[in-house]
Amino acid sequence: MRFVANFIVALREAGLPVSPAESLDALKAIKLLGLENRETCKSVLALTLVKRQVDQAIYEELFDLYFASVNKAKETGEETKKKAENDASLEAQNDVGDNKNSIQSPDSSEADKSDTEQVNVSSELGRALSQEKDMSLAIIQAAAAEKLSSIVLFTQKNYFAYKIMQRLGDDALSAEIRGKGNSLEQENSLEQRNSLEQKNSLEQKNSPEQKRKQRKLIKSRARLLDQVKDYVEQQYMIYAQHKGLKYREEYLQQAKLSQLDRLDFKLMQSLVQRAARKLASQHSRRRLTRKRGQLDVRKTIAANAAFDGALFHTRWKATRIERPKIVAICDVSGSVSSIARFLLLFLYSLQDVMPKVRSFVFASDMIEVTELFKHEGIELALEDIMKRWGGLSTNYAKALEDFQSQALASIDKKTTVIMLGDARNNQGDGRVDIWEKVFRKSKRVLWLNPEHRNSWDSGDSIMSEYSPWCGSVEPCRNLKDIERFFSRLLKYS
Amino acid sequence: MIIKHQEKIASPEVIQSRYEDLGYICSHSVATSIYLACHLQKPILIEGPPGVGKTELAKVTAAYLNAPLIRMQCYEGLDESKALYEWKYGKQLLYTQVLKEQLGDVLRGARGLDESIARLHDFGDIFYSQDFLEPRPLLQALQSQEGAVLLIDEIDKADQEFEAFLLELLSDYQVSIPEIGTVKAVSTPIVMLTSNNTRELGDALKRRCLHLYIPFPDAALESRILATQVEGLDAQLREQIVALIGKLRDMPLKKSPAVSETIDWARALLLLNVEELDPHWVKETLNLLLKFQDDIELVEPEIKALLKDLR
Repeated sequence: MRFVANFIVALREAGLPVSPAESLDALKAIKLLGLENRETCKSVLALTLVKRQVDQAIYEELFDLYFASVNKAKETGEETKKKAENDASLEAQNDVGDNKNSIQSPDSSEADKSDTEQVNVSSELGRALSQEKDMSLAIIQAAAAEKLSSIVLFTQKNYFAYKIMQRLGDDALSAEIRGKGNSLEQENSLEQRNSLEQKNSLEQKNSPEQKRKQRKLIKSRARLLDQVKDYVEQQYMIYAQHKGLKYREEYLQQAKLSQLDRLDFKLMQSLVQRAARKLASQHSRRRLTRKRGQLDVRKTIAANAAFDGALFHTRWKATRIERPKIVAICDVSGSVSSIARFLLLFLYSLQDVMPKVRSFVFASDMIEVTELFKHEGIELALEDIMKRWGGLSTNYAKALEDFQSQALASIDKKTTVIMLGDARNNQGDGRVDIWEKVFRKSKRVLWLNPEHRNSWDSGDSIMSEYSPWCGSVEPCRNLKDIERFFSRLLKYS
Repeated sequence: MIIKHQEKIASPEVIQSRYEDLGYICSHSVATSIYLACHLQKPILIEGPPGVGKTELAKVTAAYLNAPLIRMQCYEGLDESKALYEWKYGKQLLYTQVLKEQLGDVLRGARGLDESIARLHDFGDIFYSQDFLEPRPLLQALQSQEGAVLLIDEIDKADQEFEAFLLELLSDYQVSIPEIGTVKAVSTPIVMLTSNNTRELGDALKRRCLHLYIPFPDAALESRILATQVEGLDAQLREQIVALIGKLRDMPLKKSPAVSETIDWARALLLLNVEELDPHWVKETLNLLLKFQDDIELVEPEIKALLKDLR
């Protein structure tokens, strides 16, 4: 059961939405069919846990990784069990990974068989190593105790490796390795039982042997460290490989759009589209019901059956159709351009629910880009626009005059106007009167400002001149802001 | 659902081999999903490209378990009056007529309005009752005495409201009819939903189902399918067909040929007494495999090269 539970944790970290109910289903199914057959197990878990086509690949990769490691652990677990059964009964109780419980007896029995020098290896771990026990089970237990599954970043790998080594009793081992150099012994060592003289003589006698043993210990410690590191690496692949992406995405959602790295654009675009799809599917339902605007004959008859079939309650399938008409105006000059890019991308990803979008971009002249978007595909068109317009200085007066001549006439009481700009007008006249006209003719005017509230009206920003003629003015700095904004827009449209 | 022959669903392997006897060659994961659906009483959501045998799976399952197959085709605008139940309006209207005539008898001798209304209440109201209920597929499946296989076909074509409406049915095998109350399943049906993924289904729906994805079969499986479905097909020709189809699926086509098209094509070739794939016959029969003119134009010049690779 724990194997499955841990696997589900790994799946969730990789971004698969596994709900508790689904985990229960998986457990029930596993109970029915067992974990023995790997193929059955794989298809059972896929049936109950993986509900999206896109997740299939991740699932398969994780399944192979995870169950390879589990199988290995099982095998070694069984091996050590067998070994333990052969050994004294005390050893059977002795958990390899648990340091405290370890007792002398298995050791002495083992030691009888092995070279005398190994009796001298005092630290627990050292003993285990010199007997060349398989440590993988111990590593896995130590890793579980250190919560290795919470690993997030690759930089943590060494930290976890170190922690696991410590838990395995590395301190004692390294102390021993060092300690042997100046031939002073730890308290717990076997030698302590012997008289001091005896020990000294023993050590003097064994001195070359001691050195050899020390070298051997160092070697096996290095080997163990490698093994631990391998294990951590593998677990990192299982738990964190996809988590890293998740962290990155979370970070991107909140990152300031204006300071995004070019490298992140691709990832960002997919994020934008995903968010837009989510909104679209939430709101397309409402649109569908409203689309039907006709008499519902069935319901009408049903409702009036009680009145002897005389129809005096009419039932309508819907009362009205309402699709928002949106005019988006984006400042694409230097500072605002990167946000404009994502705002437009978002807007156009919403086309299912907002079919009537006209968009304009401006730096000093304003042009309509609706057609351009239609013909070229949004991403290409955006590149094009940014290349041509990005970086020019802004002139709100000129832009608004253009807007007046091009589009003011088409704005009516169903239109929502979205303006994205920082209202930095390079000291010129803002032509607020045009904006007032837009406000009076439209249903709603929304202004998104990529700057923080504190910097509005500072320098050449004339936000306060426009703001009386806006339904609301909001800062819009990251993807979360954009998403929130559109969610509200759709809800109340 | 009461399965009379428990041994029929003893293990996925049994299901797999018995289905084969029925002429449906399925992969291990398909058999496992049927096994789990029977034992856990969970609906299966089957996804995959068109023509890989999603609907067929439901039909075979019904035949295998000797249960009636109740099929509901989804489409945009499907609502509960078409899927779940409808009132028999005509009869309801007649009922009111009958009621009117009896009203005199019922109310005879009643003094005052209060007493009349009291008698009217006692009279019993069957205007909204089982008597006037016209069951539609979903309700039929719930009322079926010995269980049924309910196939909800192409759920992705239905509206999102309908999807939400299904949730109660899928998790508890019951539906709520406002006028009557909750109708529970007499015997739990085996529910199969199919989807072509034209839109993303809701998480709530997916959560309640086992999720089975049937991809295009690999060459070995497809060859076995052909062997059972098209009798008398030469083994060598069969291998050639399967290999060619595999190649076509790797090409950037609008619609890749599915299993059902492979079968059609093999049957046609058999009918035409073709013994070996040659460019001429392939060209003549290409329209059986490819359903878009663009695809045909894309493949036609490649035929010779494709066939050369096969040898």
